[in-house]
Amino acid sequence: MLDVTPTPLQRLLRERRPGYTLAAPFYLSPDVFEADMEVIFGRHWIYVGVEPDVPEAGDVMVVDIGKTSVAIVRGDDDQIRAFHNLCRHRGARLVHEEKSTVGNLVCRYHSWTYDLTGNLIHAEHMGPDFERGCHGLKPVHIRSLAGLLFICLADEPPADFDAMAARLGPYIEPHNVRNTKVAFQKDIIEPGNWKLTMENNRECYHCGANHPELTVPLFAYGFGFAPEEMDEHDRANAERYGCLLKTRHGEWEAEGLPSREIDELDTMITGFRTERLPLDGEGESHTLDTKAACRKLLGTFTNAKLGGLSVWTQPNSWHHFLGDHIVTFSVLPLDAGRSLLRTKWLVHEDAVEGVDYDLANLTGVWEATNDQDSELVGICQQGVASPAYEPGPYSPHTEMLVEKFCNWYVGRMTAHLGR
Amino acid sequence: MTAAPAPAEPAAARLAASAPWDAEADDALVCLAVRDETHDVKTFVLAPREPRLFAYAPGQFLTFSFEIGGETIHRCYTLSSAPTRPHAVAVTVKRVPGGPVSNWLHDTLKPGDTVRALGPMGAFSCFSHPAPKYLLLSGGSGVTPMMAMARSFHDVGEPRDVAFVHSARSPADIVFRGELELMARLDPTFRVHVVCETDSADEVWAGPKGRLSLDTLREAVPDFLEREIFVCGPKPYMDAVRAMLKDAGFDMARHHQESFDFGELPEADKEAAAEAAEALDAEAAPAATVRTFRVEFAKTRRVLECPEDTTVLDAARKAGIRLPSSCAKGLCGTCKSKLTSGTVAMTHAGGIRQREIDAGMALLCCSKPTSDLVVER
Ligand SMILES: Cc1cc2nc3c(=O)[nH]c(=O)nc-3n(C[C@H](O)[C@H](O)[C@H](O)COP(=O)(O)OP(=O)(O)OC[C@H]3O[C@@H](n4cnc5c(N)ncnc54)[C@H](O)[C@@H]3O)c2cc1C
Ligand code: FES
Ligand code: FES
Ligand SMILES: [Fe+2]
Repeated sequence: MLDVTPTPLQRLLRERRPGYTLAAPFYLSPDVFEADMEVIFGRHWIYVGVEPDVPEAGDVMVVDIGKTSVAIVRGDDDQIRAFHNLCRHRGARLVHEEKSTVGNLVCRYHSWTYDLTGNLIHAEHMGPDFERGCHGLKPVHIRSLAGLLFICLADEPPADFDAMAARLGPYIEPHNVRNTKVAFQKDIIEPGNWKLTMENNRECYHCGANHPELTVPLFAYGFGFAPEEMDEHDRANAERYGCLLKTRHGEWEAEGLPSREIDELDTMITGFRTERLPLDGEGESHTLDTKAACRKLLGTFTNAKLGGLSVWTQPNSWHHFLGDHIVTFSVLPLDAGRSLLRTKWLVHEDAVEGVDYDLANLTGVWEATNDQDSELVGICQQGVASPAYEPGPYSPHTEMLVEKFCNWYVGRMTAHLGR
Repeated sequence: MTAAPAPAEPAAARLAASAPWDAEADDALVCLAVRDETHDVKTFVLAPREPRLFAYAPGQFLTFSFEIGGETIHRCYTLSSAPTRPHAVAVTVKRVPGGPVSNWLHDTLKPGDTVRALGPMGAFSCFSHPAPKYLLLSGGSGVTPMMAMARSFHDVGEPRDVAFVHSARSPADIVFRGELELMARLDPTFRVHVVCETDSADEVWAGPKGRLSLDTLREAVPDFLEREIFVCGPKPYMDAVRAMLKDAGFDMARHHQESFDFGELPEADKEAAAEAAEALDAEAAPAATVRTFRVEFAKTRRVLECPEDTTVLDAARKAGIRLPSSCAKGLCGTCKSKLTSGTVAMTHAGGIRQREIDAGMALLCCSKPTSDLVVER
């Protein structure tokens, strides 16, 4: 056996105790953060937005992943392409606003001009020997999964994207993401490591105590429970929920809406999970009255009572597809202790604000929930920084998905860094 | 039932004209007729579209502006017509080998076409020098002012002793030959003598031959020293006549000559012709329908005039106004600006989106104004 001294990170990965939270350096160390950006965010498919972010030819969206800025552009051929957002002349940043509309992509420094396929089409004063063809924008891999945009910064992106798309696509397609518009987007900076943001998302253990709004439409039972600890009342409800889930899945699937759970969170490089979950009350939407927030339903839906299709992708996203709207979340790390949580609310592209939907009603539940979660991530980040912190155990009933997230993370890091 | 009124007879309408022609108000003359005078001389009859009366002194000329091959060229032509027939004017033009205008007139100008002219101008006229007896001396196309003078006297019927001595290359080159002979036959106070250098192919010249000499002149018009003399023709001809008259002891104060060489014109005429040419040019711009629009830059508070065939960027450059630009061909969008008001014709190359255009944006490098503009720059 080769005797190689492992790096501190390799040792941390090797020493990770399954079923337990990660060791403190995973949440605190700038070195681990660097490695996360290189390995996790640099070599995997990262969810960054939706096709309706760039609805028309000439629309550009800029997404920054760590130090890498990517411009996502819809061309005149209606194709969406992604490019490194820097000029091939002297490297100036090309597009500055998060969203804009351009004729061509022009560097404001010396006006080098690129068409929307990335070709350099104008550069003055470069002499006769200058080869424009060698100075096009650098492309970035981009894929659309039923309207959800994923980019990969690696030269060779994980090949199993198609496998995920083939299985996840049919779940999402009925909600017709491409025919929606971004009704609202909210960026919040959570005061915690991106893994804490993700871990927080992957359980609803904390929902009862912290999310009075979210738990109106959402059955906490949908995310696991320990039956032996419940009282009569809770157990009855859980049973009712179990039956509801079974009947609904049958009904939905009969209607052509794939609903049953698929879980590949730690079994694929491009890990994901999905399941359509019944909603409480009227069962229509993630609103405080559980009724549809938007009068114009998505796709060809005629009935809003479709529960909520939840989708999770590793390493950085989750989504809720309702009959009337979609909420989509993307987590982009800023540094070891801060993460950008970008939430978009999508409604039918023809829906009119104030007429078909009320923005406050549409965004109310998740705006409140995000703020609550942000605080929870913050207090957790503070706690793991304490010398007294040591990894704690996950609940086997309600934190299985957190465990899967950590498994996936450790697995992917290990695959790239070696043990 | 009443009879329908007879359609107005154009000629009758023209003869009924009472307003004088004012070149300042309407410098466009329509060619009404083209007449062959000789093998290389043609007369063009001109009048304004609206019937007008021409007033001028015989011997005066008009300054014309012609659009030939995309170029504007000016030339002066003496009116060969007489002011006694004021409803139209005529110029009689001789081809000049290789000459751009005379040949264009001969080959191109036809009834219905329009030329632009200012005038009349020039002091070379018998009217400026009243005398009981005149001697009109002409060589070649120099016949035109003499013809105007002769016709005028003939028409008004005043008894005036006029001797006309014309020099031509050959019998075939005698301009107005028939009319001159007719006037002489009808009017005993009008006498014509023609000197030909050579015979022509179909006519042996019976009159005096060679060039005009003092002897010929004496023989034809023995009392020439008593006459007010007007001379027009090629420079060598006029120089010879001048020397001849001096030699004969003629009072040169009564010698008047006109040159068809623009450079040889008296200063006053040259100036008048040059000013006329300029005036015709100045009017040519709007007449050629190149409109100019006002472009105002709201932020920098600059204003410029932009012709409709010029891009706003070019006009700004000419006016010394800096606007951001790079490709100057509608590609890079660097010149993209908001039009607060006004419209443009824009031919871009992908540097702007329809949505942006709809939102009032324009690429100034490839936008020509179609109205006055206010630009947010
Ligand atoms: C007062 C005046 C009256 C004239 N009347 C007659 C006439 O009755 N019949 C006739 O056949 N010709 C007349 N001419 C001559 C006529 O203007 C043209 O010169 C002639 O027709 C030849 O023109 P072209 O363009 O064909 O040839 P070109 O050889 O190009 O013209 C002859 C020369 O004259 C110069 N020239 C002529 N007119 C002008 C002007 N207005 N401004 C500047 N330069 C000028 C040109 O530069 C050129 O060198 C007259 C000229 C003058 C000045
Ligand atoms: S750096 Fe972009 S054109 Fe110079
Ligand atoms: S300067 Fe490039 S589009 Fe006008
Ligand atoms: Fe939460």
